[in-house]
Amino acid sequence: MAADIENTQTVQSWLAGLEDQSGVSREEGLQRLAILTEFCTLVEKEPDQIIDECLREVEGGKKIRAKGRRLYAAKISEFEQRVEGGAGEKRQKGNYIRSFLIHNGVLLQTSPLL
Amino acid sequence: MNGTLEGLGMEFKEVVGRRRSIRYFLPWRPVERDKVQTILEAARLASRAGNADFARAIVVDRDDLAQDDLKSLTLPVNAGMIQMAPIHIYWWGDLKAFARDMPPRAKEQVDIGVLNISHGWTHKFINEVAYPQVVQAFSSDDVLCAKVTGCESGIAISQALLAAVDEGLGTMLCTYPEEPARQVFGVPDHWTALWVQFVGYPAESWEAGGQRPRPPLGELFHEGRYGKPFRGTEGAAARLRAEKMIQDPAPLPWRKEEVRAVSRMLGLPEE
Repeated sequence: MAADIENTQTVQSWLAGLEDQSGVSREEGLQRLAILTEFCTLVEKEPDQIIDECLREVEGGKKIRAKGRRLYAAKISEFEQRVEGGAGEKRQKGNYIRSFLIHNGVLLQTSPLL
Repeated sequence: MNGTLEGLGMEFKEVVGRRRSIRYFLPWRPVERDKVQTILEAARLASRAGNADFARAIVVDRDDLAQDDLKSLTLPVNAGMIQMAPIHIYWWGDLKAFARDMPPRAKEQVDIGVLNISHGWTHKFINEVAYPQVVQAFSSDDVLCAKVTGCESGIAISQALLAAVDEGLGTMLCTYPEEPARQVFGVPDHWTALWVQFVGYPAESWEAGGQRPRPPLGELFHEGRYGKPFRGTEGAAARLRAEKMIQDPAPLPWRKEEVRAVSRMLGLPEE
């Protein structure tokens, strides 16, 4: 499925944002698609659908859909608990998904991991 | 302006120069109560119209907040800081301050020699002229009321920010949800929500990437009339650089690495 989602608009935006703003190479970015795919399977949504549920078009730009953002913030936390790995690894996987939302314009913060 | 306890002994200009929004705090390091008191004192002593009590605050130790309350105060834009910063100062503006406080405070200031005959101040003027005008203006003009309350509270909040920096702390202002905050803190109806000031020890360096970009002086400030830019001198600017009010601008070359390292330490998204 990773190959399937690679060409979606929101994944392309994510990969471009990773490269432009954070200096993450395309190859490194592509390695994260497996995690996003895993998340998409959990929520049973395609990447573009996830972003659509968090943003809506308004005159002159986009507006956050608070309900959608809240839902996916909670889903990411749930995902973090379910994925394999130690606490740090779980958080990192969750952060990959947060990064996907953030680079698509969905402002999202999380609490520190202590 | 010299700090106390672990204050850095900075001069005023350097405090102004070092102030910038800190967004990463050490969640585990508490802030000494004396330092919180210093921040509040700085706000209490700020300039304010009519010597009225515009700026109000609820100070909260993050760890004393019930989890449900903390959750209700959390917004997508404050979610990281609200968990990291050990002290939150919820700033409110008292919309009744001017109408309520100005007349008695003005008379008090007449009595103690602050407002004087030389400037036209008497009890008679306050009772018969100033008071009716103030009450009328503030009870009939919500925009005026909000404007003055916001401005006067902002002066106090600004001093609170500088005091935090002077005490060697990190600080920043952020938004908070008004209605949930009313429920959590039980504030009077005539208080209006302003900002939450997060306070803690910075997890990032104090430079936080460098001084923030600002338009040149002449673009913001005018001389004589609008359109004639205020012109500073290079000599004055050089002095302010030497006195550390003007500092190295963002981005400092190592900033991205710093952000990545701090984010990793705190488990926040790095990229």
